[in-house]
Amino acid sequence: MSTDSAAGNRAASDEGVDDPILEIDDANVTYNDGETYVLNDASVSIDRREILGIVGESGSGKSMFASALLDAVPDPGVLSGQIRYHRNDGSTVDVLELSDEELRQFRWEEVSMVFQGAMSSFNPTMKIRTHFTETLKTHDRSVSEGIDFARGLLENLYLEPDRVLDSYPHELSGGMQQRALIALSMVLNPEVLVMDEPTAALDLLMQRSILQLLDDLQSMYDLTIVFITHDLPLVASLADRMAIIYAFQFAEIGPRDSIIGDSAHPYTRKLLNATPNIDAPLVEMQPIDGEGPAPVNVPSGCRFHPRCSLATEKCRAEDPQLDVFDEFDTDHRAACHHWQEAREEIPLNAGKASDWYDASDMADRTTNTQQSKTDGQPLLSLTNVDVHFTKEQGLLERFSGDPDTVRAVDDVSLDIQEQDLVCLLGESGCGKTTLGKTMIGLQRPTGGSVEYRGQDIWTADGSDSTISHDEIRSALQIIHQDPGSALNPNRRIVDILSEPLRHTHPNASTNECRSRIYSLLERVGMTPPEDFIDRYPHQLSGGEQQRVVLARALLMNPNAILADEAISAVDVSLRIEIMDLMLELQSEFDTSFLFISHDLSNARYFAEHGDGRIAVMYLGEIVEIGSAERLIHDPRHPYTEVLRWATPNLDLDAMEADDPPIREIDVPDPVDPPSGCRFHTRCPVAREVCRKEQPELQEINDGDGKAACFREHPDHEYWDSEPVEGAQRRNEPPN
Amino acid sequence: MNYYLRRTLRIPLTVFAVATLSFGLIRLLPGGPFTQLRVQLLRQGVPAEQVDARIQALQNIRPDAPLWQQYLDYLVGVVQLDLGESISYGTPVLEIIARALPWTVLLVVVSTVLMFVIGVLIGAVQAYWEGSIFDTVFSGGSIFLMAVPYYIFAVVGLFFLGYQLRLFPTGNAVARTVEAGFTLQYFTSVLHHAALPIIAFTIGGIGSTALNMRSNSIQVLGREYVEVARLRGLSDGRIATRYVAQNAILPMYTGLLLLLGFRLGGTVVLEEIFSYPGLGYYLINAVNANDYPLMMGCFLVITVTLVVAVCIADLTYGLIDPRISAGDTDGY
Amino acid sequence: MATEADSTDDIDWRSEASAVEMSRRERLREFGRRWVYEPAVIAWADMRTRIGLLILSVYGLMALVEVFGLWRNPGTNQADPLLKPFETMQFPLGTTRSGVDLLALIIDSTPFMLLMVLAGGVWATGIAVLVGTISGYKGGTVDNAITSISDFFMAIPGLPLVIVLAVALKPENPIFLGVILTINYWAGLGRSIRSQVLSIRESSYIEAARTMGTSTPRIILKDVLPNIMPYVMVNFVLAARYTIFAAVGLYFLGVLPYTGQNWGVTLNYGYEKGGLLTMEAFHWLLVPIVAIVGLTFGLILVSQGLDRVFNPQVRTRLTGESESIEEENETTTTGMM
Repeated sequence: MSTDSAAGNRAASDEGVDDPILEIDDANVTYNDGETYVLNDASVSIDRREILGIVGESGSGKSMFASALLDAVPDPGVLSGQIRYHRNDGSTVDVLELSDEELRQFRWEEVSMVFQGAMSSFNPTMKIRTHFTETLKTHDRSVSEGIDFARGLLENLYLEPDRVLDSYPHELSGGMQQRALIALSMVLNPEVLVMDEPTAALDLLMQRSILQLLDDLQSMYDLTIVFITHDLPLVASLADRMAIIYAFQFAEIGPRDSIIGDSAHPYTRKLLNATPNIDAPLVEMQPIDGEGPAPVNVPSGCRFHPRCSLATEKCRAEDPQLDVFDEFDTDHRAACHHWQEAREEIPLNAGKASDWYDASDMADRTTNTQQSKTDGQPLLSLTNVDVHFTKEQGLLERFSGDPDTVRAVDDVSLDIQEQDLVCLLGESGCGKTTLGKTMIGLQRPTGGSVEYRGQDIWTADGSDSTISHDEIRSALQIIHQDPGSALNPNRRIVDILSEPLRHTHPNASTNECRSRIYSLLERVGMTPPEDFIDRYPHQLSGGEQQRVVLARALLMNPNAILADEAISAVDVSLRIEIMDLMLELQSEFDTSFLFISHDLSNARYFAEHGDGRIAVMYLGEIVEIGSAERLIHDPRHPYTEVLRWATPNLDLDAMEADDPPIREIDVPDPVDPPSGCRFHTRCPVAREVCRKEQPELQEINDGDGKAACFREHPDHEYWDSEPVEGAQRRNEPPN
Repeated sequence: MNYYLRRTLRIPLTVFAVATLSFGLIRLLPGGPFTQLRVQLLRQGVPAEQVDARIQALQNIRPDAPLWQQYLDYLVGVVQLDLGESISYGTPVLEIIARALPWTVLLVVVSTVLMFVIGVLIGAVQAYWEGSIFDTVFSGGSIFLMAVPYYIFAVVGLFFLGYQLRLFPTGNAVARTVEAGFTLQYFTSVLHHAALPIIAFTIGGIGSTALNMRSNSIQVLGREYVEVARLRGLSDGRIATRYVAQNAILPMYTGLLLLLGFRLGGTVVLEEIFSYPGLGYYLINAVNANDYPLMMGCFLVITVTLVVAVCIADLTYGLIDPRISAGDTDGY
Repeated sequence: MATEADSTDDIDWRSEASAVEMSRRERLREFGRRWVYEPAVIAWADMRTRIGLLILSVYGLMALVEVFGLWRNPGTNQADPLLKPFETMQFPLGTTRSGVDLLALIIDSTPFMLLMVLAGGVWATGIAVLVGTISGYKGGTVDNAITSISDFFMAIPGLPLVIVLAVALKPENPIFLGVILTINYWAGLGRSIRSQVLSIRESSYIEAARTMGTSTPRIILKDVLPNIMPYVMVNFVLAARYTIFAAVGLYFLGVLPYTGQNWGVTLNYGYEKGGLLTMEAFHWLLVPIVAIVGLTFGLILVSQGLDRVFNPQVRTRLTGESESIEEENETTTTGMM
């Protein structure tokens, strides 16, 4: 295809690529006058109309690769090497040799980019429409035609074009902004779309919906997509080929199926095993020890050797080349001296999913365990709890009509036993954090009651209270989503950890406190503690910060801990480790855990290990609750099925994603929730009766837990009702 | 909409509060409000039996009435725009203020706009060339300008340009020989007289404006949307104005509200130095002459001017920054 | 607490006591390192702060000279009238028309000026911090009341109010004068501190402190205040600057009552008695100007680098503590509400 002489260097490019659109040869990005490499010897070809998924941990240099493709490495980084772009008409250009004006045209017209934070990618003081028109104008396109094209794009992304175009960025939800940004990057109809973590800030369902849309867009507009992420299972469902980046170098690259099913690099295999997913047996999920290196101290030899169980002298001395290792599998390249041992000694978990789930058996088992737990008084008891927020309103509105009320939590009842474990699962905006904070007494409910061992926590210290407010306060603790912001940046670790001891051991001497802090730090895996004790939070890694937060909560000797998305800010390879630590400490400290997540696979890991329940929330209500096994293998509520669909798995057979079992992508406005069953606007099997009548949360037949859906009742009028517009007409009542 | 209504309704409320305050302040004055006035009137030869009537004419207050009655009378006077009569000038206070107010507004508005424009330009260029010699020199210069009070510029300017070189007049708002009217001669005379105070007042504020703009711009330049705009191929000019400048200036707008108060207050010193017949000039004259009605009138009107100015700025802020919905006044 | 509190004691607290023990002396040294040595290192590392501190120490020295009476007091006919600066080293800054030593004039009122500036800055920022944190942290009715009051004070232009007050109260004491000059300065500053506290209040670490049952005053002291300190320090200097400007301006106008000559009064005399008209007396104007500008310049320079003292990242970098790897912000942040 390519006609220029430079293409002779075939050794560096991929054998599996017949019609490359981009060929990257030996690309390096350096800082400090070539001292520090943040991208090292990247050589890869990208096929026309393929989706290439690039996976790496945070700080592995994957964003540098994205910027390099557009020759847009942030200053003062220096990009060297060769990046050849083959146009549709057969001509070839070297991106790094383009003049400023040529580069200006090349970007966005040929290769375009989508960034992670949509909110920060739009000018906050400009309407979305202006972003489109100025882009069109500056590239000498017709504005009216361009806007029409953009309308089409927005419609294909399930957005209302006029509403979106006439909004300011802050008026759209995160998912809408991200889709609008995708439309903006495609408005000049580029050939290549480089996406750098385009969905990382969104919840799982929105991520998967967007990926589904990307798949459609790719075929509709003949796009080549480079999708960069830290989330291996997520991109696995979309990509044709995948590449793994470790420590600023490509570790492995090959067709998706080879990477997932038959990867050759120990890092890839360990990464696959470290990823919580809903199919693999739990026991075999293993964290990777250690953390990726910083650019200033990259290990010599193979960069992965300090964390690799197979490392030998050779690995320490010699940097393996990224090359074809198997002459029968020429599409697949890996940089490892011991790829054969890796394949033998690190078995992959995924795909092993067996039919180990037996519904009736499971039902018996879990009912038994539930039974044993329900004996006695619950630790926390929520009865018909409402949390309604009134929107800020002005003088005149106060006289006219009802105020806008956000029903964050609506009529929820839930009991939590001693040493119980409950996961709240749902999309952003479903009220799960509000419910969690209500449970531990941080948010005052507007209706209903929250009781701690029979004492209403908001009337504690009243005349007839049995348990004091202080006692309840210290018994219910929280672990926040982002450990970085949960620690006061101005206090040292020792000060932060002394604070809980002031409450639990007010008379302890300084040295006694220190010894307690030391031993707990050791217990949460921060050894030796004296190395950490005098540091400020910013001197710790994300994983270490989260351990400190955990230690702080435990020093209060709590009876229940709310973990609000507590691992989503931690690197993928460390998540299992932190979750294991929490579970171990739960039994050690005899606490209950409330775990909030948007990710079914994380919730499953917790619920199954801790023998707990998962409660699925939608628009302020619990729509289904039950054991993780039952929820995953026998979801009763259509919304649970949606979440199940949205959870990426690594099973190659199941990977060819089917259409989402959902009619609308965006969650309705919680100010004005839909009538009847709140899910009816998005439910694929909604019928007329769902619009009018609201289903109750009731015990389900042959299984543990409860669900709120008419489909649980074989003789409900639902089955005679007409499907609503757009819903499928499938299914007859069970039995 | 209701926010605008509420905001506008607050003006008379604040004016009422300020009027009350100034009524209270008169009572704080040495020897009470009338002792000194009485002495003064007697010295001027007013017959003792007419003094009370004179005081009433001057201040709109019957000195022998009970306090609440005096207070009511005073408020009624304020509402009727009757601020009493100046003792030293012998004319109604309102008349003097009506003549003085435009000059003060002219000084404050022109110098503030100039200061803002020049400061923003310098700060923006500094941010674009961050770390350059230009940046270093102007940063040092800005810090130095911040350290010099505006009236020092006024004094030094007056010394060199007014007295030594005689380029500018050293007093008054307009030459005595020029008739007021829409004539070129009148305008040049006004400009000629206002030039020095405006220049002094402008230079005094440029330093902090430029430093502010510089740090805001550097922040905005690091934002992702600027990077995205560059990748989209937008021209440097558009990025500089629509992206960087706009987002860097917006946070300064709320600071401007506070600044207006300081600047309006600052005219007192400025006008006195240049003998520029604005509100501040008369306020100082009134203070020196123990002319309480004029003093209180000037104080009240300066405050009302500020209240109205802040209100206007506040109301327009919502129009400029789409993120601030009406009612969100946390911007200060 | 009772029963559960003891459960932790059952865990194996395996750590060698020796590594943990800290003697009183160690603790004292630790305290000194944290509160004296480290801030000093950081402040000194910044060029601007270093120059600023040097300038300020000159004023400190002048104040000491006055307090211990090491320079002559100003008096008329001490020397020939209108000596130029550096004409004789006996009167290094020259003399006024009535033969008063200008250096003596400046030194004479230095303690007065410094006291006044300090009082103005402390009063303005102190009230603003108090009002801003309470209003921002407490919210609700308290917030509404405080906000309305500060709105009212913000609506009054400072100088005219001070002039009217000065006529009424005749402040002569430097501390009282500093307070009068910044009588309503706190209002605007309080509002901006309030909005900062509002956003800090929402942060997770405050919520964690509340969850532990930490008392509100302690949260404000330990978690809120350290985070607004850089801002407060910068504004302390701005308030001090305003105090100097206002004081000198009003002395210059002759509105403030005075007993002796200070910088503003000297400026006034220089201006009124001919400094403006002839070059011969120009230094009479210049000397007080330099005194005023120097003090303000020093203060501003110090403030430019002072915010770094409160920044833990700068602190650890400059005092040679280990720095963890820099992290890119690629982490997921999901699931609000």
